[in-house]
Amino acid sequence: MQQRVCIVGVGLSDGPVTPELSGVMLEAQSFRRALDDAGLEKDDISGLASAGYGGMHEVALAEYLGLAPRWLESSSVGGSSFEFHALHAYRAIQNGDVDTVAIVYGNNQLSASGRTLGTGGGGGGGRGGMALPLPMAYEFPTGLTLVGAYAMAAQRHMYEYGTKPEQLASIAVQTREHAGRNPRAMYRDPITVADVMSSRLVADPLHKLDCCVISDGGCCVIMTTEERARSLPHRPVYVRGGAGGTTHHSIAAMPDMTRTAAAVSGPRAFAEAGITPTDVDVFAMYDSFTYTVLVVLEDLGFAPKGEGGAFITDNGGNLRLGGALPTNTDGGGLSCTHPGMRGLFLLCEATRQLRGEAGDSQVAGAEIAVAHGSGGWLSTQGTVVLGTEGA
Amino acid sequence: MPDSAMPDWSDVPKWLMPRPTHEDREFWEGAGRNELRIQHCSSCGRHQHYARMLCSHCGKQTLAWVTASGEGTVYSFTVIRQNGVPPFNERIPFVVATVDLDEDGARLIAAMPMLDPAEARIGMRVRAAFRRAGDQLGFVDFVAAE
Repeated sequence: MQQRVCIVGVGLSDGPVTPELSGVMLEAQSFRRALDDAGLEKDDISGLASAGYGGMHEVALAEYLGLAPRWLESSSVGGSSFEFHALHAYRAIQNGDVDTVAIVYGNNQLSASGRTLGTGGGGGGGRGGMALPLPMAYEFPTGLTLVGAYAMAAQRHMYEYGTKPEQLASIAVQTREHAGRNPRAMYRDPITVADVMSSRLVADPLHKLDCCVISDGGCCVIMTTEERARSLPHRPVYVRGGAGGTTHHSIAAMPDMTRTAAAVSGPRAFAEAGITPTDVDVFAMYDSFTYTVLVVLEDLGFAPKGEGGAFITDNGGNLRLGGALPTNTDGGGLSCTHPGMRGLFLLCEATRQLRGEAGDSQVAGAEIAVAHGSGGWLSTQGTVVLGTEGA
Repeated sequence: MPDSAMPDWSDVPKWLMPRPTHEDREFWEGAGRNELRIQHCSSCGRHQHYARMLCSHCGKQTLAWVTASGEGTVYSFTVIRQNGVPPFNERIPFVVATVDLDEDGARLIAAMPMLDPAEARIGMRVRAAFRRAGDQLGFVDFVAAE
């Protein structure tokens, strides 16, 4: 018989600026905090998942932490890697292949590399003597940047559906409002749509404030069987369903820049969970850029295709507390933390909400949360549906 | 014709030079002789850029190089206003576009160095323009068709 699977521990490292901590130190710190949160010790961990920027990352991490896991997972599909990890751990625990899994990520990107990720050229391509992986070899000499790739997609959405830059800006404004309640957030002062619109254009139509922050930070999420979860300190948060997929790698190969693989992963995940979009109380969405939120929100069915802009601003702002879809209640990547990849932080915030531990940003009575990661150049999409026991 | 007020993209730093492989040499050398070379699939009749072993549309191994008309339509674009990498930091602002070639199935990302950013539009007709990269090779840019 299949096991039900729960998230039983979450841990956040110090942050968002930690020049004294390396990436692996941030991983270790968040791992320790998640163990403490779960009431577990390291020898309880039989599976480890992680993704970094080099090969065998999770193996090196296992050694560093003194773990000898018999189940390893290292899907490396960009920022959404951790939704894929959670999904694969969910299946493996369901089927009895592994009992208790830690998903870990940490990066000191801000302190190590500065704020160049999005405009350092090449959409992630290499420099110097490095051979560029196809198809980046063609894009890099054009001067396209990572931000520019997302900007082209946003521009196409504006062209097809009349989406306004002010509607994108509203996403940043509403997210900042959440960040204002989070002492851990990188930027907390309220901003207006006018502030976003008057911030520097980085790549039309995206302004500086349409782009996520670059920070340091680590996160860990621990998953186990329902049976074990019942003996642990926190109210278990149940994995209810999930799915992932990809449509392209480079932005040039994105078949339709107004539609992502979330249009497939979302309905599959929701069907497995037995929910519809209106059942979702909290949305933890990978907000690499404001446009990422808009396009995926439509793809998941929270608004019809092309009507995401209106949905975002309706009702005084549907992403706010009290709105139809409170989104990124920790302040998101746009205002709180984004250390290279953010996918794991989404699962953490969704769990805190379903436990009722989100403090001033708590969505009253939250029972269903969706954590959705988007990686690469809108390339990889992973949807995970979480719920309380009774949901 | 090039306007003297427009940025000079002719200087190609060593690290931006194409490094042709067995698979894609035809593209880079074609651009060096002012031809836009893409692959045509005799099974499904569609085209693709960049060069691959198999047709990305139908999966068959029935590809041959052809010279594209160089005509296309802008599917989307952006204006790059921040790029920290030389020499692009000296060229900003400039347009980068996603171009659907008239040859069905082929799409590519290209710079439009000669286009005033204020003139860029989705749906505008464009044609290939070639920029030398050393003696033998070239890059494919696009310019407004009219």
